[in-house]
Amino acid sequence: MIWYNDVNDGIVISTRVRLARNLDKTPFPAALSDEKKAEATKSLHSAITESNSVLSRDFDKFELDDLKRTEKISMLEEHLISPQMVEGKGHSVLVNKSRTMSIMFMEEDHIRLQVIMGGYCLDEAYDMADKVDDVIEESLTYAFDEKFGYLTACPTNAGTGLRASVMMHLPGLTMTGNIARVMQSVSGVGVAVRGLYGEGTNAEGCLYQISNQITMGLSEKEIIEKLRNVINKISDMESKARRTLGEKHKLELEDKVFRSYGILKYARSMTSAEAKSMLSDVMLGQNMGIIRCDGKMTPIELMVKTAPSVIMAGKELTPAERDRDRAQLIRENI
Amino acid sequence: MIDLFSELFDMFDGMDMFSVQPVIQKDNRKCPVCGRTWSDFRRTGRFGCGECYQVFRSGAEQVLRQAQASSAHSGKIPSKSSADIKAKRRLEELRKQLKTAVNKEDYETAAKLHAEIKQLEGNGAK
Repeated sequence: MIWYNDVNDGIVISTRVRLARNLDKTPFPAALSDEKKAEATKSLHSAITESNSVLSRDFDKFELDDLKRTEKISMLEEHLISPQMVEGKGHSVLVNKSRTMSIMFMEEDHIRLQVIMGGYCLDEAYDMADKVDDVIEESLTYAFDEKFGYLTACPTNAGTGLRASVMMHLPGLTMTGNIARVMQSVSGVGVAVRGLYGEGTNAEGCLYQISNQITMGLSEKEIIEKLRNVINKISDMESKARRTLGEKHKLELEDKVFRSYGILKYARSMTSAEAKSMLSDVMLGQNMGIIRCDGKMTPIELMVKTAPSVIMAGKELTPAERDRDRAQLIRENI
Repeated sequence: MIDLFSELFDMFDGMDMFSVQPVIQKDNRKCPVCGRTWSDFRRTGRFGCGECYQVFRSGAEQVLRQAQASSAHSGKIPSKSSADIKAKRRLEELRKQLKTAVNKEDYETAAKLHAEIKQLEGNGAK
């Protein structure tokens, strides 16, 4: 199931696990010419899909050079490809039918295998990635060093090649002004906090990605366990912040939630940032039992579906037309 | 930007300050697989291929120690290499035992260990 349609606890929205892998005796993508990159991709594809009937049956292949920019951005917004893959050349990706797994080629590393699921399910996501990793490995040889583990372009990924992350909705910590302190305290324990689409992106709609920084020296299970401890703690703090808001600032909170709902329900033009912020309010209101929306889409789904490129869906629209279409989509579905 | 501090930045130029040793001595070697050098890594923060970790091993180890919890992988091993790695580890262990046996003049054990090592080496482990 696509991650944003799956159930979640209102705080941890989705879980993502990524494994970085490279081919033995082959320069990493950045050190390959376009021609060699295409060659390497081709042999990777055939090695993976021809020898594994499971993978070839369940996955669709996308050559990103053949896609329009807006199509690529909509894959980015579904988190199926990385920001670098929208801009660069020679990238391709295999995506499974349920859109929970994507195998990206020629990103910073030859292979980036990713699982993304709704809710809080680090073990399940890792196990799924681990299994497919084993299947891929049957048909090729990975760059692996006995001491350093899986070798990657950036040493910050070497060892396990594992980056596990969860997307958290933290409006309570944001509204009570505690978010900066939380960020600061977790950065000291080898955990990174970023905006929605990875490094350097803003935390629009109070959505944050929490991930491990350390990839070597700990086993995959240990990495996941440590990350889980941090997430559980942040989750507790968010719950506490929400309780405080509900008890001490009930009227203000209700007012904020219903105002946002009112605007989402009736506005005729809406920017992406405004939509994200108001959808975040409504999402919080729903989770705290302040408001019930019985529209066709959940606030998180609307956030994904009203991102600029998704709204455009391959059409060329001016920003004003985009804002109009966004407002309409939200109005009809919230 | 209003430039307020440029003078400050070169104020150490003429002074005899602490001598800072670069981490790695000048290394002009090129990786045979991707052609990159250590200074390419220093500039980009990225290695050109897996072989670079072997070619620039001491530098890589230092970088990993700084960036990671440790410079020794303790996670998953690809199933293909796992047999090799296990054999290698076993071989190291046997060689250690052989040395101890010889030192103790326990030639019976030494002979057994020697035979086992020969057999493992014959299977391709080094």
